Amino acid sequence: MDWINLLLLPVLRSVALIVVLLTGFAYLTWYERKLLARFQVRIGPNRAGPYGLLQPIADAVKAVFKEEIVPNMADKAVYMLAPALALIPALIIWAVIPVAKGVPAIADVNIGFLWILAIAGIESYGIILAGWSSNNNYSLLGALRSSAQMISYELPLGVFLVSILMLAGGFSLVSLVETPRAWWEWIWLWLMFPLFFICILAETNRSPFDLPETENELVAGFQTEYGGIKFALFFMAEYINMITTSAIMATLFFGGYRLPFGLLGDVIWLGPFVLAAKVIILLFLFIWVRASVGRPRYDQLMQFNWKFLLPVALGYMIITTLLTVFLK
Amino acid sequence: MLNVSPRRREYETLPSLNNPAIPARAPLPQGETDDTKRIVERFGDAVIAAGLHNDQQMVYIRPDQLVDLANFLKTEEKLAYEALVDVSSVDCSKLPAGETIDARFHTVYQLRSYTRKRHLTVVCPADGGSQPVVPSLAPVFEGAVWPEREVYDLMGVGFSGHPDLRRILMPENWPNHPLRKDMPLGGEPVPFTLTWEDPEFETLGKQVLPAESVAPVLPPGMNRERMIVNMGPHHPSTHGVLRLVVELDGEDVIHVDPDLGYLHSGFEKTGENKRYKDFVYYTDRMDYLSAMNNNLGYVLAVEKLLGVEIPERAQVIRVIMSELQRIASHLFWLSTHVLDISGTGMSLLMYATRERERILDLFEMVAGARLTISYIRIGGVWKDLPPAFLSHLQDLVDLLPGKFDEYETMLTAGPLWQERLEGIGRLSREEAINMGLTGPMLRGSGVDWDLRRDMPYSGYENYDFDVPVSTDGDCYGRYIIRMEEMRQSVRILKQAMANLPDGLYRTDNRKVSLPPRAELDVSMEALIHHFKLMTEGLQVPPGMAYHGIEASKGELGFYVYSDGSAVPYRLHVRGPSFNNLYAISKMCRGHMLSDIVANIGSIDIVLGEVDR
Repeated sequence: MDWINLLLLPVLRSVALIVVLLTGFAYLTWYERKLLARFQVRIGPNRAGPYGLLQPIADAVKAVFKEEIVPNMADKAVYMLAPALALIPALIIWAVIPVAKGVPAIADVNIGFLWILAIAGIESYGIILAGWSSNNNYSLLGALRSSAQMISYELPLGVFLVSILMLAGGFSLVSLVETPRAWWEWIWLWLMFPLFFICILAETNRSPFDLPETENELVAGFQTEYGGIKFALFFMAEYINMITTSAIMATLFFGGYRLPFGLLGDVIWLGPFVLAAKVIILLFLFIWVRASVGRPRYDQLMQFNWKFLLPVALGYMIITTLLTVFLK
Repeated sequence: MLNVSPRRREYETLPSLNNPAIPARAPLPQGETDDTKRIVERFGDAVIAAGLHNDQQMVYIRPDQLVDLANFLKTEEKLAYEALVDVSSVDCSKLPAGETIDARFHTVYQLRSYTRKRHLTVVCPADGGSQPVVPSLAPVFEGAVWPEREVYDLMGVGFSGHPDLRRILMPENWPNHPLRKDMPLGGEPVPFTLTWEDPEFETLGKQVLPAESVAPVLPPGMNRERMIVNMGPHHPSTHGVLRLVVELDGEDVIHVDPDLGYLHSGFEKTGENKRYKDFVYYTDRMDYLSAMNNNLGYVLAVEKLLGVEIPERAQVIRVIMSELQRIASHLFWLSTHVLDISGTGMSLLMYATRERERILDLFEMVAGARLTISYIRIGGVWKDLPPAFLSHLQDLVDLLPGKFDEYETMLTAGPLWQERLEGIGRLSREEAINMGLTGPMLRGSGVDWDLRRDMPYSGYENYDFDVPVSTDGDCYGRYIIRMEEMRQSVRILKQAMANLPDGLYRTDNRKVSLPPRAELDVSMEALIHHFKLMTEGLQVPPGMAYHGIEASKGELGFYVYSDGSAVPYRLHVRGPSFNNLYAISKMCRGHMLSDIVANIGSIDIVLGEVDR
């Protein structure tokens, strides 16, 4: 029965994961619109269904039935490929995230950290190719901004990840969650959380680092020439990225699927719900930041990264090394 | 194929009961002042007439001496007219021949001395009959560049020595100059850029089908080697249908050329075919974010010609409305500025709009309309304040300062906002004056000038308020100024509420304002006045007047030339956004793409007023 373990189970798990993520994406848009509306003394979607709960479905139907428009001068093949390239990394990064005790989403590989870094690295391709292939100045500028921004912010992000890795002592995310941590480790981790969160904001192109798609300067940035379902795919990629990175942060900083102090640790089915709750709280942070923080200029963004975040990340890594050597 | 609108109206004076004195020319200025005496001494015979007209200093000068006069006025220390506020023109072809001047076109310049608080009107009869040419003042005052382009475009007056004499509001291939008196209102052929018969249609039409795209014509001074980006006319942050052709080197801005006129609606031409009292409703539509200020500016210019006394209560009501409108306009500026710089998610957009709604509610209370209010009328205001108004206003006045503090904690206190605005769009004091900028743009560059304080109108001299001035000259300085102006407006509102006198809300001069309905039943005279005003409109004595008010965006000026009839012979609007927008090229050069957006927001334009 090897083929069941090797093929059928992973396929079933993947399908389940994708369905959960896409539904999560749909309701994340609702969640964000409702929350933003509350921040902005508005009501938000309330027409489609009770509390506007059917709004995501209405949006999906609209996006699917929109006319397909491809610009003449676009590089057609790349233009069509780009949205998929943006969406796929956002989905497959989930493979290594543990969702319940002893249960990774797809596979408990011993290179979980490397997987995250590697997939985060290829995430920018979709955006860059979209901007380049659209043959539009706004798109191109957006793509340029995006590539520069994502590559720059991956450096401190990677360095922070390495620090966590050193504390954890292994590449596997499953063992990271299950190994108990000392109290000073938690505090030392949480000290870094705000900076890590900033990197994540830049990595996911979220406000205030949404420079690649600044609607006020670049119309819609790299996705200016995209409409209908192709636009929806980019949208999906961004929002699933938000969910994914929230899950990663929950796993790295807040014990993933576990309740604090090992409460109800034996109830395996509780794991996904605990993780989901943590993700929802972290998503609230994303939206809260969007509602209250202004946007920096492109050069200021780069300066902040190279002159502040990266040195701090390196310093943090050195101190972590010393802590690990002397205290563990 | 030419598209011809069905109704063709030639220029006509409205029925004026066969008054042979209509139309009449504006009388020449009489008497003299210190300044006109100096000018006459220096220029002698080149001065055709000089003196006072409607309490306004005015000089008629021959065109060959115009540039010398401008230089003299600007550099002579005892005169110090540093700024050219406005350029307009009059086509006199439907007026009777003058005794001393027989030129068809006059150009009219409004000059301002900020240090001496004086205003001077210079009129220059143009040489050349129907193809007039006047020397350009652009080499002396940089602020003349756009207004002279506008005069060239709409009136067909050429300016010799102008650096960039292109059309500005009308399309490049427009066959005529619409403000000339021989151009009828309506009925003129509209040459579309493309018609079905046009052979060019084949090639251009194919742009939507698979074919090579045709590169557009670039504005002068631009290089196709670099990236050219069209911001607008449909762009989220150009505040309407402004088009900016931007030359980019990476993210750095090399050159910006604004293209206007997408919203040109011919308000001036319309005004010349409407009776004085009927044009008030059109002024609302120009700067639709500060309709009350537009009403006030227009009404004051006409009242200046009429020489009518406005009752005290009406004056105070006007001040209340004008200040409320200033706050509303600044609030909207703040919300859009924040939107431009910080993105749609930023909540301040809605917070500022929420407070603006409160002000619009007040407007709705007094006039029934929220945006296009037309509340301020010639002779006073439309109706008296409703009884509940003052208590609602009191609530608002108590509420607003706290809200302003709230905004400032979100913006001024945060480092991101300051970093985005500081050092962006820097204009020196000399540049700001020379470019003819007004309002917060001028004060942001360190010129301590506010028409409300320095040339008071509507009783502003009775109020105690401060004029915020920033010497930084950048977007951050202008932001701070507007925030402070809102607080000062609240101060004025408090004083106005405390001192609101009882009495008439519009003048009882029956030649200007309608008699109350009750009077019609008992008074024959009232009935006649009512009949005359409704059929003929109010007749304004011949003359010309320029009146500028401190609107929220800068100096809003109305230049009115009356031929004695009930219709203005020439009506020119000096929109503050139009003149301020000229600075955009200089402000953006050397900055980054994102800063263009900050600069547009900082200038605070409304395209309805820029294009008029």
